Amino acid sequence: MKTNILYTHKDLIEKSKSGDRVSQYQLYKLYVDAMYNVSMRILNIKEDAEDIIQDSFVDAFKNLNSFRYESTFGSWLKRIVVNKSINHLKAKKIPVIPLDHHEYHISEEINKSNITPDIKKIKQGIAALPDGYKQIIALYLIEGYDHKEISEILGITHSTSKSQYHRAKKKLIQIINTL
Amino acid sequence: MDDFEKYIRENKLLFDEHKADEDKIWADIESKLDIENKKESVRFVIWKSPFIKIAAVICVLLGSFTMLKLVTKINTNTTHKNAAIHQELNDIDNYYKGLVSFQVALVKEHSKLSASDKEEFLSFMDDLDKEYMVLKEEMNANLNNEYILEAIVQNYKKRIELIENLLEQIKDSKKSDDNEGYIL
Repeated sequence: MKTNILYTHKDLIEKSKSGDRVSQYQLYKLYVDAMYNVSMRILNIKEDAEDIIQDSFVDAFKNLNSFRYESTFGSWLKRIVVNKSINHLKAKKIPVIPLDHHEYHISEEINKSNITPDIKKIKQGIAALPDGYKQIIALYLIEGYDHKEISEILGITHSTSKSQYHRAKKKLIQIINTL
Repeated sequence: MDDFEKYIRENKLLFDEHKADEDKIWADIESKLDIENKKESVRFVIWKSPFIKIAAVICVLLGSFTMLKLVTKINTNTTHKNAAIHQELNDIDNYYKGLVSFQVALVKEHSKLSASDKEEFLSFMDDLDKEYMVLKEEMNANLNNEYILEAIVQNYKKRIELIENLLEQIKDSKKSDDNEGYIL
C-alpha cells in the first residue's frame, strides 16, 4: 500500500523526466496550489511566494532524474519549496526562529489547551504570531514535519526546535483566547 | 499531541486558502525551462563539433606542456641554487684544506720537534682526515643536513686545536732552551 503511494503519478513523472512538456504541465497543475500555500505560510508575501514556486518547479524538473521514489513526489517537491522559502527569509534577514531562542522545555501541562478548536480563529492567531513562531507552527502542525526534520530545515538543534515549538504554541493559544 | 494539535493536523487542508496565479507562474517556469534546454542543446552541439573537440585536445596538450615546462623550470632553479651553495662550500673547504696542509708540512719539517711528537700529531691528523672524508660523502648525499656541516666544522676545529697544541709545545721547548742559556 505504502509502495503504491510512493509511485503516485509515476507515469507523469517518468515522462517529465524525459522532458515532455505536457506531462510537466500536468504535474505542475496537480501540485501548484498546494506548494503555493506551503510557501505563503512561510513567507506571507504573494510575490515572494510566486518567485519561490517558479524556482522550485524549474529546479524540480531540472533535477527530476535524481528523484528515485524514496518518498512521494509531493513530499520531495514540498521539501524543495520549504528549503527555498526558508533560504529566502534568511537572505532577507528575517529570523526563522525567534531571537530569544533559549533552550528549555515547557511542561506539557502549561501547553494543554482547553480552547474549542475554530479554524478561523486559529488562522487569525497564526497570522498574528511573530516571525519565527509562525514558521515553526506551520512546519510542525500544518506541513507535518517532525522536530528532526525541522531542525535540519531551520539549521537548529532538535531541542531548540522542540522548545521553540512549545513557546510558539503557547503564544498561539494566548492569542486565540483573546479573539 | 493534544486535541488542539490533532485538530489542526486533521484539518490541515483547510489552511490552503490561497490560489496561485497558475498561468502567470507557468509562463515563467516554461520560459526558464526553455532557456535551460537551449543552454543544454548549445552545450551538446558544441561538444559534438569536431573543431571544438580538436581545440579542446590542443588546449589540454598545451596546458600539459606548459605545466611540464613550469615544473622543469622550478627543478632547474632548485638545482642551480643547490649548485651555487655547493660551490661556496667547496671554496671554503679548499681554503681550509690548503691552510691545514701548509701547517702540516711546517710541522713535518720542524727541526725542534721529536720524531715521536711528529708521528703522534700526524696519526691524529690522519684520523681526522678519514672522518672528514666520510662526512664529505654524507654531505654530498644530503646537502641540507645541518648536522653534517656542523660535524665538518668540528673536524676543522680539532685540526686547528692540534696544530695550536703543537705550536705551544714548540714555544715551551724554545723557552726552556733560552732559560738554560741564561743559567749558563
